[in-house]
Amino acid sequence: MTGRPHRLGRVGALACAVGALTVVVAALPWLRGDDPARSVLRARLEDREIDPAALAAVRSELHLAGNPLQGAADWLIAAARGDFGTSWVAGVPVRDLLLPAAGASASLAAAASVVAVVVGVALVAPVAWALSGERRSPGRCARGVRVAGAVVAALSEVALAAALLILVGVRWRLVPVAGWFGPSYMLLPALALGVPTGGLFARLVVIAADVTAEEPWVRTWRAVGCGRITLTAGIVRRAVTVAVPQVAVLFAGLLGGAVVVEQMFAVPGLGRLSLQAALAQDLPVVQGCVLTLVLAGTAAGASGIVAQRVMLGAAGAAATLVPAAPARSLRPRRRTPLVMAAVLTAPILAGLLRDPHGVRLEQRLSVPSWAYPLGTDPVGRDVLARFGHGAVLTIGLAAAVTAAGLLVGLVVGLRGSAARVGVVDILNALPFVLIGLTIAAVLGPGLVSAAISAALVACVPIVVHTRSLAAEVRASGYHQAAVLAGAGAGWILRRHLLPAVIGPVLAYAVTRVPSTALAIAALGFLGIGAGHDTPEWGAELSVALDYLERAPTLAAAPVLGLILLGVLAGFAPAELGQRPAD
Amino acid sequence: MTLLTAAGVTKRYPAARRHPLGRRPVRTVLDAVDLAVSAGERLGIVGGSGAGKSTLLRLLLAVEAPDAGEVRFRGRLLRPAAPGRLRWFRREVQFVAQDPYAAFSPRMTVRDVVSEPLRCLRVPGDHPRRIDESLRAVQLDPALASRLPSTLSGGQRQRLALARALAPRPAVLVADEPISALDAPVRVAVLDLLREVTVATGSALVLVAHDLAAVRRACTRVVVLDQGRVVESGPVDQVFRTPRSAAARNLIEAIPRLPSGVTR
Repeated sequence: MTGRPHRLGRVGALACAVGALTVVVAALPWLRGDDPARSVLRARLEDREIDPAALAAVRSELHLAGNPLQGAADWLIAAARGDFGTSWVAGVPVRDLLLPAAGASASLAAAASVVAVVVGVALVAPVAWALSGERRSPGRCARGVRVAGAVVAALSEVALAAALLILVGVRWRLVPVAGWFGPSYMLLPALALGVPTGGLFARLVVIAADVTAEEPWVRTWRAVGCGRITLTAGIVRRAVTVAVPQVAVLFAGLLGGAVVVEQMFAVPGLGRLSLQAALAQDLPVVQGCVLTLVLAGTAAGASGIVAQRVMLGAAGAAATLVPAAPARSLRPRRRTPLVMAAVLTAPILAGLLRDPHGVRLEQRLSVPSWAYPLGTDPVGRDVLARFGHGAVLTIGLAAAVTAAGLLVGLVVGLRGSAARVGVVDILNALPFVLIGLTIAAVLGPGLVSAAISAALVACVPIVVHTRSLAAEVRASGYHQAAVLAGAGAGWILRRHLLPAVIGPVLAYAVTRVPSTALAIAALGFLGIGAGHDTPEWGAELSVALDYLERAPTLAAAPVLGLILLGVLAGFAPAELGQRPAD
Repeated sequence: MTLLTAAGVTKRYPAARRHPLGRRPVRTVLDAVDLAVSAGERLGIVGGSGAGKSTLLRLLLAVEAPDAGEVRFRGRLLRPAAPGRLRWFRREVQFVAQDPYAAFSPRMTVRDVVSEPLRCLRVPGDHPRRIDESLRAVQLDPALASRLPSTLSGGQRQRLALARALAPRPAVLVADEPISALDAPVRVAVLDLLREVTVATGSALVLVAHDLAAVRRACTRVVVLDQGRVVESGPVDQVFRTPRSAAARNLIEAIPRLPSGVTR
């Protein structure tokens, strides 16, 4: 008995959200709370004295407006004409920096898409084949492929990129590791970016295929003696159709989510450009990059929805086909994640008992020994100790951030249709690192910026999950009965919505902690999270990569930790996120 | 005395666009429907799928507003409003849900379910006693009060839905296809119970069904809807014996019967 959301309303809300985001981007230089001209001088001159004459000169040189409204309006008008202003640091037009970077990013994204599709097909095909069979329970092979898919999807880009860099690039010297001078330079970044995306793509399609295989037409086709290949193709086609909007967003993420990979392999793309600009507080460049990536993401998302409508027709697209939230993931043996958690916990506990700050320059970069089981870092600090303390910092911060996200998620998610579209959906589609970059550009790099951006991002899936659970309650017969029994909004919230939502959302939030920790580590790696002296996994990894040639084992601890954490994040929903059957 | 009236109610919904940029066509679901429910009366509303039964029900329950015409209860105009402003109406008109398997929160006990309208509608009086009374009225053992609805059978759940509706002692009970999710023997029992309970409590009954036989078993008067219009109305036996509209004849023919000559 609830009204259907009006389509114009949806499009309007989305347009409003994109518009609002654009205005925020346009106002970035003023959001920092001090005079942009002063920021420019600081960016250019570092620590030198700033005198009023220099400020006035900068203002007239860059045409900086006196107040934020005027400034934002000026920037938007210029941006609409394709003029993104002048870089505060390099002094050249931002457009001249953006175009080549966008080219590099686009070709990297294209190569990564190819990798993702190959990985995705390899993972989906055996599962779909098993689903088209007569047997109710899938065979061991299909099960193995499912687990492999979950693991691949859970690989963090930071960890995978570092592992590829260490093994393929440095150890075996098969392909060049840094730069952008030809197709061979593209291989490692494309793999690092494409493989996890392929895993996620496969996961979305497999979830859709599971639902599809239960549909009545599959039985009908089987009953009329349809060949197994035809049936497999039918299931895959329908599953892909259903998953298309999410897949489109995934591929948009290849463009914007590439910051880590571009930084690690020194690819001169949009991500690296925006990172360097954010670190140098060169806001016009950040503005240009963010706007480009937001527009590309929106275009990809919109084309996904259009593609689905075209593939399904109006009637099919109107029906809700598959839950958008990760409703079902595979259920491995209960032992596997527990074993992995134990493997992860043991060295963390061991490290916590040791001193992470003691500098012993005479012992720098030593190989693993009894005294230092994981060796020492470039200033002779105990790597095992830093691993343990870093875990507490990274995972503890992630837990705190997730708790904040849980509160926000419940408040926003339980509100009615107003929260249905808009900021949340935009945040959902934006690559995480991009949000971190923007916030670091405004607030300056540091653990606080990282925590704020992680909180912003962590609450999004919780909002989405809460929202879909609440929508389920609102569509239920007992909600309708309560309304007709005269229940007010407060009663329904207390007696029906909260009891139905709180348990599953809490469990879901717990499963999000590892991925939030990965995100915080990624920011730390990029230098916009924890400082380099803080024992934090991402920051540690970033230091370790500088010493790859001399001490390859240095990177092993954070890389393995991040991989384990990622795989745990991939398994966790199966263990905890399942809603108890009503 | 007339309690619930609908006068010339019309409801239109936007239909699906033919192509993405086209104008949204409008579908008239109810077309100038008149209806009156008197105290103690048992009225059946029948019609095939898409006849507008459920929409009419939503208008009668003040969940939606008609595009034209008006719905009144005891002479007062009804419009959808905040729960507090409709409390007077909800105390007098209660709803029996369609699907007894979905009608109860999986987290609320039988007692919570029956007490929900009493508490939400701020019904004065001794609630525990009323809950007991309501459960007894539908032949449910009050000892079940601490159980979860999921442990009850389909027929017991439908009784529970009825007990919940009876708890505030309404003047009108509105039931939307209350038997469509039940087995045949349970259906008859629920229909008989609906009839007996309304006779015993003196409340009126509005029973919506696509099955004329169900209405015949429980009601005295029937309104036949077809494509949003009232095509026939009158005493249920008269409509059953001498249907004047094609829609009513179709509904009667749709009632399954054993072929003559078949013996059990």
